[in-house]
Amino acid sequence: MTKFKLFLISLYLIIPSILFSQEEATNAVFNKSLQKIAIRFRTEINFNKAHYFFTNQKWDSTLVYCMKQLNSGKNKELDDYCHYLRGNSFRHLKLFQEAKKELNLVTKNFVYYPLVNKVLGESSSELKEFKKAIYYFNEVEKWPNLDNQGIKIGGIYIDLGVCYLHLNQFEKAEKYLLKSKYLLEKENNKESLFLLYTNIANLYYIQFKDKQAIPYFEKGYSLSNKINRFDLKYRASKNMSVVEENRGDFKQAIVYRKESEQWKDSLNDQNKVWAVADFEKKFAVAQKQKQIKVLEVENRLKNSQRNWLFFSAISLLLLLTAGIYFYAQKVKNAKIILLQKNKLDELNATKDQLFSIVSHDLRSSVNALKTSNAKLSATLETKNYDELNQLIIQNSGIANGAYSLLDNLLHWALLQTKQLYFHKESVHLFSIVQQIEYNYKSLLLEKSITFENSVSRNIFIFVDLDSLKIVLRNLLDNAIKFSNENGKISFYSVETHTDFCQLVLEDTGLGMSVNTINELLADNELLAKKSNSEIIGTGLGMQLCKQMIKKNDGTLAIESEVNKGTKMILSFPKTNQNG
Amino acid sequence: MDNINVLIIEDTPEQSDALSKVLLANKYNIVGVARSYTEALKLFYELPIDIIVIDVFLDGKPDGITFAETINIIPNASKPFVFLTSSQDRQIFERAKLTKPFSFLMKPFNELEILYALEMAVEKFYEQNNVFLSEEQDTVISNDYLFIKKKNALKKVALNDILYIEVEERYCNIITEKEKFVILISLTKISDLLDKSKFIRTHRNIIVNSDKIEEIILADNLIILKGNHKINLSDTYKDFIKKMNILS
Repeated sequence: MTKFKLFLISLYLIIPSILFSQEEATNAVFNKSLQKIAIRFRTEINFNKAHYFFTNQKWDSTLVYCMKQLNSGKNKELDDYCHYLRGNSFRHLKLFQEAKKELNLVTKNFVYYPLVNKVLGESSSELKEFKKAIYYFNEVEKWPNLDNQGIKIGGIYIDLGVCYLHLNQFEKAEKYLLKSKYLLEKENNKESLFLLYTNIANLYYIQFKDKQAIPYFEKGYSLSNKINRFDLKYRASKNMSVVEENRGDFKQAIVYRKESEQWKDSLNDQNKVWAVADFEKKFAVAQKQKQIKVLEVENRLKNSQRNWLFFSAISLLLLLTAGIYFYAQKVKNAKIILLQKNKLDELNATKDQLFSIVSHDLRSSVNALKTSNAKLSATLETKNYDELNQLIIQNSGIANGAYSLLDNLLHWALLQTKQLYFHKESVHLFSIVQQIEYNYKSLLLEKSITFENSVSRNIFIFVDLDSLKIVLRNLLDNAIKFSNENGKISFYSVETHTDFCQLVLEDTGLGMSVNTINELLADNELLAKKSNSEIIGTGLGMQLCKQMIKKNDGTLAIESEVNKGTKMILSFPKTNQNG
Repeated sequence: MDNINVLIIEDTPEQSDALSKVLLANKYNIVGVARSYTEALKLFYELPIDIIVIDVFLDGKPDGITFAETINIIPNASKPFVFLTSSQDRQIFERAKLTKPFSFLMKPFNELEILYALEMAVEKFYEQNNVFLSEEQDTVISNDYLFIKKKNALKKVALNDILYIEVEERYCNIITEKEKFVILISLTKISDLLDKSKFIRTHRNIIVNSDKIEEIILADNLIILKGNHKINLSDTYKDFIKKMNILS
């Protein structure tokens, strides 16, 4: 009784093992073709997902996506695949009834129908419906080209044998197992052989054919030593111990039992080791993850550091450039300031010089007036009226000279400070010359100088009236100053150009040398120094004339011969007649 | 021909006396001398004035400019004026410049300068520049008067007094009820400047004041004016009769 019981335990352990070992080979061929199908129906996302999960043995997900595909798809070809995948998945999840239901939905035209039958057979045998299982396995066996399906006929024979064994039809079982033995020994698959031998041994042992059974047990045991699977080793040694026990060799039985216990422990150990390894792996992964994170943080830190460095370098560079630029500007400014300072010093010196000359002139004028006045009062006492008149004329002459000097000084100051009002308008040249002459009539008379104004009465020039008057006054003043008694001064105009008109002031006076002319016309703001201090003034008048003429867009030229006379040639823009 | 009426606005009696003397010597008529801004305005409205001479500074304030600004604002009341100033202050000039017509004379000035300045003021005011000093023309025409330069003096003739104008080459004979004189102006210019509805051309060289026409005798091609002046009427210019309101 015990013997039988033991036998059954080992038998139950054996059957599913066979089926699973066969499964892998089947899958290899089927998976390949499944992949082809998946590529063909690339657009069916659900099917592709199902395929992916199926090959990765994620059964639950396979079920879900196959269902989705079935619900959405109208593709009958894919339906068969889906039903098969679902059936197979149910079988792996040990839901055999569901598996069978699902597999029955597969149409007979399905290319891999033998596989369907095989899974049906396996499920049936799991449900202990051995007759049905035999029917399915027979269907598989009948199929002509099983290699294309990835099914090993040897495996099917074992399954059939085992089914018959369960039905106690020992002859048929023996027939299939031996058939399988013949095929499997050729292949020399150790695991399959081990299971086959164990099954054959069980077959004989159950019929109490110990002599035939024992060699198979021993064969199985020796095979198990070569196989690296603890569960198989455990089974083999356990079987041997049962066999030895029944034979009465308890000593040997204990040895086998011990061995089997050892393998069992190993099996547990292995599981533990795997668990530990798994844990370690997870730990290592976590550790690595941590390290990666640390590295990432470090990287970020480095990046920010580098950026900071980069920006600070750039800003420093900018600062430096700006510094250099401003320094250069400063140097340039300093240079300009120095130049300006020198010029200002020079101008200031000129101004001081001017002051001294002007004050000297004024002083002598006023002094002359003083002495003249003293003389006047003296003459008044003697009641010499003839001389009185002459003295008054002399006084007014001195006063006039001082006035014109002051007038020039005022205008010069205004010009320098740019306060002079300047308004250009059309001016009748003849009238202006006349007006200027009017003030000098007495002076001209005194020196018996003939004056002639032969400026054309049709000339209108476009200038500032007051500055023109200043120019003409100064020039006439000079001409009178440098003319001898009975000389002649004449103004006349020369029209040389449509837009310009020349005004010439000609006298028969002292004249001047070329050097003096050049000195007078030289374009500097400094006053020319004078050699003839007796009758020559500050040079302020000439300077003023030049600047006023320039401001009126005119030009000044001098033609002169010593002791013969001077021509002052002025040219001014004419009034535009059209507007 | 009448003398030009001048209003002097000058706060210093010495200077206004000197100025009056000079102007009187040159046959100008001094109608009044104002000492202040208010007096000047009063005289301006009371008296018949042709030209105003304005001192910029009255009692140290630039009231002269204020006066010019005031008469500038009143439409059709303004008259030609000349500023007198001894200051060359730029700010004052910038302000004075805004009054039209702007002409000024720096003190001290001589006789010729003031006469020139007055002539310039008239020219500028009636916008007929470079007239008095050119050799082609000696008359500025305003809406009411002819301003004529005779030798050195400026004279005026009321347009209403003119009977007719006879053109001879560059000259025009002006015939009024009382006198007859010659001015220098071209026919085109004078006919441009005169009011065409009043002064009508009746002949190639004759312009008649239509107010003075007494009788038109078409048969003889004659126009008879006030004072029994007989004027020829040429066929080319007869058209004007159609525009006239003739009692029939």
